[in-house]
Amino acid sequence: MFSVFGITDPAIWMGYALAIGLAIACVIYGALNWNKGGRNHGS
Amino acid sequence: MAVDPAVTIILVLVYVVITLVLGYLGYKKTIHAEDYLLAGRDSHPVIIALSYGATFISTSAIVGFGGVAANLGMGLIWLTVFNIGVGILLAFVLFGKKTREKGAETRAITFPDLMGKIFKTPKLQFISGIIILLGMPLYTAAVLIGGARFLETTLSISYTTALIGFAVIVALYVIYGGLIAVMYTDAFQGAIMLIGMTILLVLTYIYVGGVTAGNTALAAMSDLVPETLASQGMTGWASMPELGSPIWFTLITTLVLGVGIGVLAQPQLVVRFMTARENRALNRAVLVGGPFILMMTGVAFTVGALTNVYFYQHMGKIAVDAAGGNVDSVIPLYINTAMPDLFVIIFMLTLLSAAMSTLSSLYHTMGTALVCDLWGRGQTCAMSLRANQIGCIVMMVLSVVLALAMPASIIARATAMFMGLCASAFLPAFAVGVYSKRPSRAGAMASMLTGAFIWFFYTVFIHTAEAKALGISQFLTGSVTILGAPWTVIDPLVIALPISLIVMIVFQLRERSMEGKSRA
Repeated sequence: MFSVFGITDPAIWMGYALAIGLAIACVIYGALNWNKGGRNHGS
Repeated sequence: MAVDPAVTIILVLVYVVITLVLGYLGYKKTIHAEDYLLAGRDSHPVIIALSYGATFISTSAIVGFGGVAANLGMGLIWLTVFNIGVGILLAFVLFGKKTREKGAETRAITFPDLMGKIFKTPKLQFISGIIILLGMPLYTAAVLIGGARFLETTLSISYTTALIGFAVIVALYVIYGGLIAVMYTDAFQGAIMLIGMTILLVLTYIYVGGVTAGNTALAAMSDLVPETLASQGMTGWASMPELGSPIWFTLITTLVLGVGIGVLAQPQLVVRFMTARENRALNRAVLVGGPFILMMTGVAFTVGALTNVYFYQHMGKIAVDAAGGNVDSVIPLYINTAMPDLFVIIFMLTLLSAAMSTLSSLYHTMGTALVCDLWGRGQTCAMSLRANQIGCIVMMVLSVVLALAMPASIIARATAMFMGLCASAFLPAFAVGVYSKRPSRAGAMASMLTGAFIWFFYTVFIHTAEAKALGISQFLTGSVTILGAPWTVIDPLVIALPISLIVMIVFQLRERSMEGKSRA
């Protein structure tokens, strides 16, 4: 049976993949917008 | 207990001293009411992120929901998805910046004050304050219980002593240092939580034989699911419950949606956005916040589920049975039996941090709601610092009394209840309020009152878990709930929030169309 790190239920391993993916998205968002929204850059 | 008491006491003392020193720094920086209430609107992004994250994640998330994961399995990871996607990304990007702008524009200093000023009526400040004072003590008591239970087992002191001692230490720095002290200590506590949860994850996977081996062992335990859970749809600890079963409804509607969405309109978190001077501080905070939350709830839920493997291998029992049937005791028991002595202390500090960081913000929000938003509503809220301090003390005492009266296995449920109430009552009005140039005042009032009323009604009369515990429906109608399945397992939020949202939208559209007609 197909499994990801021992987890066979896709609804579980997809949850993990999405949680990790979203955390990475936060890092990318923060890095790309690091200097946006300053006092001289408008909001 | 095997932990050396001398080492424990020294480390706890060092921790308490650092916390109190940070609290003192906050006290020194607190000159005006705006410092006490809003940290002077000039917080550093890392402090905002760690403070938001540490406030967001309490002992409820680690002990309460970790215990729920031990009981119901890894499906709870979907709550982490919501915690990051909704609680961080949506919250900061969609709501955070707008909230900061509106807060700065109106000079609002508390969440109810913001609502009152956006909608230009002190009535909304009053209603928001009342809802906070009705719902927040429940959550505060749950956080207190989580911290006290762990102190009780780790330090071998009585539960009542642990509860009161814990409540008083936190109150000390909140009362003197206000929000600056709260945020400084939050950031320190957030850093400890990050260290503690990382070690917990690594050690747990080492104990169960590695990632793949541990997960496989957990999946193989599906035939050990107790009959009471299996008959309600549970299929195992590494798989989702049967779609549409009572456990599926509880997992998805109460835990994942209720807590996942509920976080958006929590007054103690919304205030964090108003402490930023510029929007870029919030952008930067997202970078820290996402990974932080992953390491908190993601780890708590994973480790919670895996405790079944550990307890089965060592005691021949599933986790909840090993903990004597009390879901709230699973994580403390696991830490105390499985982890090395030093880590027991580190984890105790992690939990203390989680509880203290949340508790401090709740005291602060409740105290200011009592003083600024109820007593001093409609004024500029330039109440004396002393008045706000007294407000914090009153709410602390109330929460301790409530915590002593609350039953066992209540932590996760009380947390979900508070978050459900916040979302049902506040979210639609708050969202329209920060985004619309002319938000409907009548709509906000109707939406908040409808959301709160339906949430209370559903909780008391329909949702079995609470209706049974409260006993009001039984007393008035002669039956535990007034409706049958599946309504009895659907969380009140899932009903109350859409209705509250519809009410807000209808009022908003009606007012806009009337404005259009009068202009024409």
